[in-house]
Amino acid sequence: MNLEYKMESVKTFYYDRPIIEKGYANQTLFVDISVPDISVKPVDEIMKEVFIGGKGFDLWLLWHAVKSSTKWTDPDNAICISSGPMGGTPLYPGSGKSIVTTISPLTGSVIDSNVGGYFGPYLKFSGFDALEVKGKTEKDIVILIDGIDEKVEILETSGLPNDSYDLSAILTEHFAQGKPRHISVVSTGPGAKNTRMGCLNFTWYDLKRKRARYKQAGRGGIGSVLADKGIKAIVARWDTVKVDTNNPADKNALKTVGRKHSKEIVELDPKQNEMATIGTTHLVTIMNDFDLLPTNNFQYGNHPEAVNVGQEVYRRIFDAGYDGCWTGCTVACSHGVKDFVPLTGPYKGTKVFVDGPEYETIAGCGSNLGIFDPHTIVEMNFYCDAYGLDTISVGTSIAFAMECFEMGLVDETHTRGIHLSFGNRLAALEMVHQMAEGDGFGLIVGQGVRQMKSIFARDYKADPHIMQDIGMEAKGLEFSEYMTKESLAQQGGYGLALKGPQHDEAWLIFLDMVHNFMPTFEQKAEALHWFPMFRTWFGLCGLCKLPWNDIIPEDNKDTPEPAKVMKHVEWYAEYYTAVTGKETTPDGIIRMSEAVYNFQRIFNLKMGFGQRDHDDIPYRAVGPVKPIEYESRHERYDKELVEKHHVDITGMDTEEKSRRLRKFREALYEELKDAVYKRRGWTANGIPTLETVTRLGIDFPDVLELLKAHGVE
Amino acid sequence: MMFRINGKQRSWYEGMTVADLIRDLDDSHHYAVVRINDTHVSRPYFEKTLIPENSEVFLIPLIAGG
Repeated sequence: MNLEYKMESVKTFYYDRPIIEKGYANQTLFVDISVPDISVKPVDEIMKEVFIGGKGFDLWLLWHAVKSSTKWTDPDNAICISSGPMGGTPLYPGSGKSIVTTISPLTGSVIDSNVGGYFGPYLKFSGFDALEVKGKTEKDIVILIDGIDEKVEILETSGLPNDSYDLSAILTEHFAQGKPRHISVVSTGPGAKNTRMGCLNFTWYDLKRKRARYKQAGRGGIGSVLADKGIKAIVARWDTVKVDTNNPADKNALKTVGRKHSKEIVELDPKQNEMATIGTTHLVTIMNDFDLLPTNNFQYGNHPEAVNVGQEVYRRIFDAGYDGCWTGCTVACSHGVKDFVPLTGPYKGTKVFVDGPEYETIAGCGSNLGIFDPHTIVEMNFYCDAYGLDTISVGTSIAFAMECFEMGLVDETHTRGIHLSFGNRLAALEMVHQMAEGDGFGLIVGQGVRQMKSIFARDYKADPHIMQDIGMEAKGLEFSEYMTKESLAQQGGYGLALKGPQHDEAWLIFLDMVHNFMPTFEQKAEALHWFPMFRTWFGLCGLCKLPWNDIIPEDNKDTPEPAKVMKHVEWYAEYYTAVTGKETTPDGIIRMSEAVYNFQRIFNLKMGFGQRDHDDIPYRAVGPVKPIEYESRHERYDKELVEKHHVDITGMDTEEKSRRLRKFREALYEELKDAVYKRRGWTANGIPTLETVTRLGIDFPDVLELLKAHGVE
Repeated sequence: MMFRINGKQRSWYEGMTVADLIRDLDDSHHYAVVRINDTHVSRPYFEKTLIPENSEVFLIPLIAGG
């Protein structure tokens, strides 16, 4: 690519790279781009003991960086990135993750997003367990963390491309010194600048295909924060990674447990979901078969054309070959499409490589928009990545706008002539292009569902009550792509999630609805305790959650608690001990997570959220909003009214039955809140009790003061 | 006439459905999904999905997802 660009160093910080000790560099990197200033902060034992790493370190740094009044655009808002003590281990599957946190443009509170690619491990091996970036700058900058030459540099740039696709490729080549695998780039694109749902692209270099590949820290608009700060990219440079690089406490024990898990995945993945071949696309038809695939803004759970965007199609479209987003990962699920030619936008007619799509993108930018053309979904995927947009928020936001259009709440005078109906592929693509350009109706859609509800009510006089029911956001974050109407446990999994309705905290829908592992109310509450604790722990340690319960031991079904896949949990405890030298058990894993989890809940409280009312979800997540939704599942709903709630429905019309059902279901959700809060050690208002924070060792003076201000003492 | 299930040979008969197979297995585990060659079949379709001769069938133990 021939492009005239300039990069000029404005600040260079040289340092002595510390030796990694048992998975830790024992220091973090602080960069204030306003000054500019670069410095190092120590990591003490208490920080490691209580916050472990990854999301825990991020939250601790962010907690001290921001005030309760800090807004996402304030210079004080920090972007924190950390992997974790096991992050960067090449022989244990899924050990290359990073977690990113910031104050979210969508929620106004703390957001966390996990992502693959090489950046987190390279950051740590360069000498830093976490990166904290504050400040804002008028001129575009690139931050370079060079662990090989032991320097951190801020460079002013001009002439670099705006989109992430070309930008990452150029920066990889620029800094590689002939070894592109040594580079990982974090960047975003023009969509991030013009919306609240910008994502970050993290690269890993694909030696076989000779190109930078991408994974996304998608949720919550972290890319919009990066763009608002004026940061074009953050680049890490590091050398070859071996098991010794992370300097584990017991290398032999690590090798033993790592090989066991790797071997099992190699043996069982081909017999199970073939994630090494088709990624998460297998979920499309399975969700559709069980009436769980969001269709037309979560109105319905299946569609006869879903098979057109399922794994049988993408199996043929994906470029075959190894697709691990971290060295040696045997799950290797990061598939992509080679030589794809977009039909619209700036890359129209050009061959590009597209990383994805995964299930969430297929459902969000496909079925939920009434789109069942696999190539349109690939194109949506490509442009969202290139523009730096989160495919989940983009999909759910456009779906809401489409339903509003079909209901007449907005019309073509608002959309500037675009017929924004379900299934209109070109209209959906046009929305994405407009988000990138910051123009037209796409500019409004790009503000997210919560903002759209306000704008449509204020400017277009749309009915706020119906929009509240059908606008699929909670805490300001758009729902990810599962239908929760018939699973109370998953309603809690979304509604009680700390950052908003994202499935990475508690994916209980199948365990609840299909496997029936939690038939009682208490069992649902119990699952809403332990499942998020396991998932949280992966984010503390630099690990991917997929190897835990996406490839299952053959004898798992005969264990007392098959939903927990305890054989793997025990392996993870061994893994943690082997790296850090600290003995732990499955119970110890829960305990580690609880401390960070409760701290994040309190962080929400600090930012003005984190109480019972903030755990509300729109009614469409709970039951049928419109008569047509009720009628699409009338047998289920009639049966529920009669058998569960003992209602005589004789002669009742659909609207009356819907009203009665709503009353029962909303009450059940409130009861679920009570049960979960109690199980988690929270007050009836959803605030961790004094006893809980003391037990978990997070009873810091400022935490106690905050609790006291909210009546907890 | 045979097919393979989780890598092991098993007798096949004309008209055998996935539901028949699950019943014959005498396995108390509540399977929700099986894969026949490259195609996933979910429980709502077990009764009407035929298992072809010489096919490769995999019982999917748990769908974790997300």
